[in-house]
Amino acid sequence: MKRTLRRLLGPVAVALVALDVILGLFVTPPDIEQGDLVRLVYIHPALAWVALYVAFAMAGICSLLYLWPRTRSMTYDRLAASAVEIGVVFTILTLVTGSIWGRPTWGVWWTWDARLTSTALLAVMFLGYLALRRVPADPHVRARRCAVAALIAAVDVPIVHFSVIWWQTLHQGATVLNSNLTPTIHGLMAWTLLLSFVAFTLLFLWMVLVRYEIETLDEGEEDAELADALEARRQEGAPA
Amino acid sequence: MSDASTTPPSTAPNAPGTSKGSPRLRLAMVAVIIAGAVGFLLVKGLGSSLDYFKTVDQAIATKKAVGTSEFRLEGTVVRGTVTRSSTGTTFDVAGGGKTIPVENSGTPPQLFKGGMPVIVVGHFASPTSTTFLSNQIMVKHSSSYVEQHPNRVRASDGSVN
Repeated sequence: MKRTLRRLLGPVAVALVALDVILGLFVTPPDIEQGDLVRLVYIHPALAWVALYVAFAMAGICSLLYLWPRTRSMTYDRLAASAVEIGVVFTILTLVTGSIWGRPTWGVWWTWDARLTSTALLAVMFLGYLALRRVPADPHVRARRCAVAALIAAVDVPIVHFSVIWWQTLHQGATVLNSNLTPTIHGLMAWTLLLSFVAFTLLFLWMVLVRYEIETLDEGEEDAELADALEARRQEGAPA
Repeated sequence: MSDASTTPPSTAPNAPGTSKGSPRLRLAMVAVIIAGAVGFLLVKGLGSSLDYFKTVDQAIATKKAVGTSEFRLEGTVVRGTVTRSSTGTTFDVAGGGKTIPVENSGTPPQLFKGGMPVIVVGHFASPTSTTFLSNQIMVKHSSSYVEQHPNRVRASDGSVN
């Protein structure tokens, strides 16, 4: 059951992303102000959505579950690590697509406004989390360190979300998740935007699942290597 | 074992001892690099993004204090005031009931036109002048997306209603 679900998840996600690209590039109409530049709306917000609200939220929740003594399990540590790793990729893609969109619409590739700065900060902090994971340590020590680091970094997620409300920014406010929850996009444009959110969320879930399996296999490998090394040492010591 | 006399035998208690310095150092290096990057972004953030721009009325109200120092000015391009020449563009920006004339050198971005909210980077021409000299225009587009109708009529300044 789990296997078939995972097998289906990948192709379904890729097919939906392909449909999103086709609708976004060829079927949806140009925007009244932006013309064809609007087509980036079918990619950029969905990437940001996955990074902030799916990946880093998942990493935060899993880290909390690890730190909570009753639910402590290496499963949560591995899930958090997988979510962060793919979340960082989505964050960097968010920055890249945003920059590409910013140049023709705003006139600049980059500006130090609160939305952009806090997103860059988010990318760096979660890169720090990944660096922390590479520091050799006892698995439980590492898991605790990383869980704390993830929670510290996750504080920036609501800051990124509300930055366009709290401070003056060049970046516009939210189109869908705005303060009165009234989307300012309609028709086929809105449906394609919704599709992009679903497609990229499924793509993320698929990638996390695969990444989690690799992490689990890796740890099994390490355990096996350790067992082999211990066995070798034992045999070395035997004749002496 | 033949090498036992030249090198100390790698016994179990020794192994973690020798590698202990390295992970500590790596942890410290990771911490320093991340703290540096976070620090840089925080300084950048607190330095410029929290007070990202002044609106037109704010700029006029604080004109004495601002002098001819550079800042970002936010306002809406007044329709019908845009004049393009070979050296640049002049137009008025309005906000909070006030207006400031802007002289911009360089090419405005593609979405620039009358009625658009913009941020212009530059400074007042002199402490007494109300003219704002800018070398960069950023267009602050809205979060609404509206389908373009191919036969919509455009006004003479390029805007559509």
